Amino acid sequence: MQFDFIHKPCNTAVKVILQAGETCTAEAGSMIAMDSHLDVETSTYKRGKRGLLKSLKRMFAGESFFLNHYTANAESELWLSTPHPGDMTKVDLQGDKLIVQSGSFVACDEGIDIDTGWQGFKALLSGESFFWLSLSGSGQAILNSFGAIYEVDVDGEYIVDTGHIVAFDEGLSFSLSKAGSSWIQSWLGGEGIICKFKGKGKLYCQSHNLTAFGRSLTPHLAPKVRN
Amino acid sequence: MKVERLGGKAFSYIEFDLGPGEGVRTEPGAMASMDSGIDVMASFNGGVFTAILMFLFGKESFFINTFKNLSQKPQKLVVSKSSPGEIIEHKLNGETLFLQPGAFVAGSAGIKYKLSWAGISSWLAREGLFRIRCYGTGTVWYGAYGAVVEREVNGEYIVDSGHLLSYGDEMSYKIKMSGGIFSSFFGGEGLVLKMQGKGTIRLQTRSVGGLAGWLNPRFPRSGGKLSNLLDVFGSN
Repeated sequence: MQFDFIHKPCNTAVKVILQAGETCTAEAGSMIAMDSHLDVETSTYKRGKRGLLKSLKRMFAGESFFLNHYTANAESELWLSTPHPGDMTKVDLQGDKLIVQSGSFVACDEGIDIDTGWQGFKALLSGESFFWLSLSGSGQAILNSFGAIYEVDVDGEYIVDTGHIVAFDEGLSFSLSKAGSSWIQSWLGGEGIICKFKGKGKLYCQSHNLTAFGRSLTPHLAPKVRN
Repeated sequence: MKVERLGGKAFSYIEFDLGPGEGVRTEPGAMASMDSGIDVMASFNGGVFTAILMFLFGKESFFINTFKNLSQKPQKLVVSKSSPGEIIEHKLNGETLFLQPGAFVAGSAGIKYKLSWAGISSWLAREGLFRIRCYGTGTVWYGAYGAVVEREVNGEYIVDSGHLLSYGDEMSYKIKMSGGIFSSFFGGEGLVLKMQGKGTIRLQTRSVGGLAGWLNPRFPRSGGKLSNLLDVFGSN
């Protein structure tokens, strides 16, 4: 299976080239075009398998209830995109585990297992979702973001503002903290609570923050009429 | 200090490579991520009178952040704006630059900032009650929602409200209606800024207020079909 990106980092879409017998699993609603002979199957878990609990958990993680599985009989192509402007990146897993922020999952091949993880109550305070996806196995997965995605190799400590996390290796863990040495300065400076990562591994961040953009848009939106 | 602008024009962000002791100042909330050896200090921006006015009327923060590398090793800092768009680099060599509220992203150590009162007419044109005066020697980074357009002005020039980003010291603007009363109200432009003087102005191709104005009539409402219809006619 081959993934090719076009129009990075703003209007990113991904072209998936499938060989005969290969299956690509994608977030429901992400397909924008495909060869007509691709076989589509919708399920709550893996192709041909059901997992109601896993699916419910995935809903809590801000993803859709169903996943679509596209299987090729011959070499064919599949185009995937997201409703909002943003970037995408490909991650290669070799038996390791990746924790993915809610809403950032786009697609993966058969080698990846999708489950929902729990990051504790701190995740709520961090402005992120309560549940996170965890991708494991050996294979490739596609993630999306609002803003450009950049990678950071963390060795020791690294600070990310809330709303800018896309995904991180299992070898990293984060705690909520302040930016700099003083809580007051962090609040006054508009940074508030930040996520402090510790450990060794790869971290994927997004340059922009959808919540912050929403906050700048909100005062201009007309209030709903109630009558 | 090494500076790199990344993310293309649509998602511009800046990566600062701060050497030991080096620092940079940013708009509050602009930090996306950073190495843990960097400290943040928020400081007051402008005088007491401005602060009181901002507290009463302003939506913008009257603080400015200073990020400083307190470690012995180079440290990285990533900053961006809340809206997706282009960020440009502007070198100042003693001259003054006026920035519209919300445009400022970051500035190097030699730049001084002062929030100043922009006047009621500016507020009427939805340009905010305040503007940022930058002066000194160094680099200022500021950005748009959309792309940045540069225009040399000598005399007069009209800019739609919500689209102005920056202008020089020798320029000023007045608020006026875009045309006659009829075209100002129904032509979709409303109030515009009449720039006067000689210098370079920078504009943004989109405005957040414009996006909201386009979205508003498209949200379903409980006000009934007729009011929805009127909304669509009333928008541009």
